[in-house]
Amino acid sequence: MDSFSSPSSGSSPKLSTDDIMEQLRTQLAQAYAEEFLETVRGKCFEKCITKPGSSLSGSESSCISRCIDRYIEATGIIGKALFSQR
Amino acid sequence: MDSSSIDNYQLQQLLNQEKQKAMLNEMVGKLTSACWDKCITGTPGSKFSSSETTCLTHCAQRYMDLSMLVMRRLQQ
Repeated sequence: MDSFSSPSSGSSPKLSTDDIMEQLRTQLAQAYAEEFLETVRGKCFEKCITKPGSSLSGSESSCISRCIDRYIEATGIIGKALFSQR
Repeated sequence: MDSSSIDNYQLQQLLNQEKQKAMLNEMVGKLTSACWDKCITGTPGSKFSSSETTCLTHCAQRYMDLSMLVMRRLQQ
């Protein structure tokens, strides 16, 4: 029961339950964001960079920004279809 | 209980909550990826066409049907 709260060294400040919960939430949110970013990167690379040139063209970068917006929208549509029906 | 000690019950509750959230999150993520590949065939436009939107919705709903069928079939 006490393993979390027993101080490992005298100088480190004690963490309260709220601190630990806050840290957990932050780290989870970071992990979600990273995973999402990685997916979007892969999807939009596939869609928009079909023939990698010597630099990113204007049409490629506008494709990427549209792709990101659409992927976020698609996530919303899927979520709604799964949870707000029946 | 004083405020500086760790409330295991509260932590356990948070972890259970987050576990559920993670499962739902993962499901939405996986489905979005699969349905994106099926439904968004061209380059992404500035707006989804209505057929793309419909396809995404149907894709998610059919997946639910499928997972029910698979469960029922495997329970026999």
